[in-house]
Amino acid sequence: MNPPGWKCPRRVGFLFPHECERTTPDGCPECEGGRLTDPFVQRTDRYTYTNYDDYSGVGTAGLNRNPNDFTEADGENLVRPRKRFEDDMTAS
Amino acid sequence: MAGDSSWLIYALGGGWGHLTRAVSLAQAAEPHHKVRILTNSPYVAPVWKTMPELDLISLDPKLDFATARDRTIQQIVIADAVCLIVDTFPRGLGGELAPLFKSLRAIRVLVHRDLSPRYVAQGGLRNFVRSAYDLVLIPGEDEATAFASLPLAVVTAPWLVRNPPRNRKPRRRRRILVCASGYANELPWYAAVVSCLRALDSNVDVRCVAPVCPPGCPREYWVAHWPASDLFAAADVVIGGAGYNTIRECVAGQVPLIARPWPRKYDRQWLRAQRAAKTGGVTIVQEPTEAARAAIDQIKRARPPQARTEVRNGAAEAVDIIESVMENRVARVGQ
Repeated sequence: MNPPGWKCPRRVGFLFPHECERTTPDGCPECEGGRLTDPFVQRTDRYTYTNYDDYSGVGTAGLNRNPNDFTEADGENLVRPRKRFEDDMTAS
Repeated sequence: MAGDSSWLIYALGGGWGHLTRAVSLAQAAEPHHKVRILTNSPYVAPVWKTMPELDLISLDPKLDFATARDRTIQQIVIADAVCLIVDTFPRGLGGELAPLFKSLRAIRVLVHRDLSPRYVAQGGLRNFVRSAYDLVLIPGEDEATAFASLPLAVVTAPWLVRNPPRNRKPRRRRRILVCASGYANELPWYAAVVSCLRALDSNVDVRCVAPVCPPGCPREYWVAHWPASDLFAAADVVIGGAGYNTIRECVAGQVPLIARPWPRKYDRQWLRAQRAAKTGGVTIVQEPTEAARAAIDQIKRARPPQARTEVRNGAAEAVDIIESVMENRVARVGQ
């Protein structure tokens, strides 16, 4: 059992590696329940990926959807991240 | 307040900057105009204490968003000014000015401090400013560019709350002034700088000017004074943030500044600091130890105080420009 406030220190994510921050490795599909130290270390093709516009083979997000996949809702943020303005009367 | 020469300055926003810039303008305008400043700065008390003659309407900074917006609108309507001068936020900090403008008779002047380009694009602010304002004043040549190309934009020299004295008195002990402005949660950083300075060189005279004693700063080092720029002339180097007033007053007073840019929602302190660093006199740092070392190095390199070159205060120039726009409006109406 992990102590209260524990966060997973591993890096996850194929395109954009980021902190995992899961509160337990139990049942984690990335590190396979804590068995892998660096789940994405073998993905050496990360920076030589060229066929960005090839969507063949991409199906609809469904049963085997990876929680790190982008969704339609992420689309706008990826193109032009929206930041909220005019919502704080003490900003500067 | 309503009258033919009454001006209202909208100076809402956190920190010192909006209020201090408004005071600079109000001082320059007051011999000929009644000027009221609308502010929600948490630092209004020391300003009032120093300049009790100012007409300040102070909104509680802790008001919830909707109430703050409502009170702001209410105050603008009550003031019924002939000239509304809006600092930094063309649509108002909460977007409350945009619907109000249609019903206002006032001449509208925007004071164009730096503004996040993302906000400018997202809010369609260039078109809004073009159609809603009569004049855009840019207080400092490199201060802001978003609306600089509009025909109604005019650049002035930077606005100063005090004109720096021409002569500096030589001192026996070198003095470092830590200017702890900005938000309350940034004050511990300045206290850490004071600790680092004490550890590095106990012979240096260190003062920390702040509205309250920063947590962790020994009280004997703390000075409560507004405007902090009064103390710049007696300092060999200033350590501060990279807000408009800290940078402009240090550059005008020709006092070296060790600047720590802080993140802001709309202002880009990093950019201002980088621009100022290019012209010399400003060193950018991030960590307290870095700031303390840079200040000690600066003192070692410093030459004896010399007479300063004459400094132009753009606030007086801004008043002249506003008056000429008002006169043109009157002439057009009279035709």
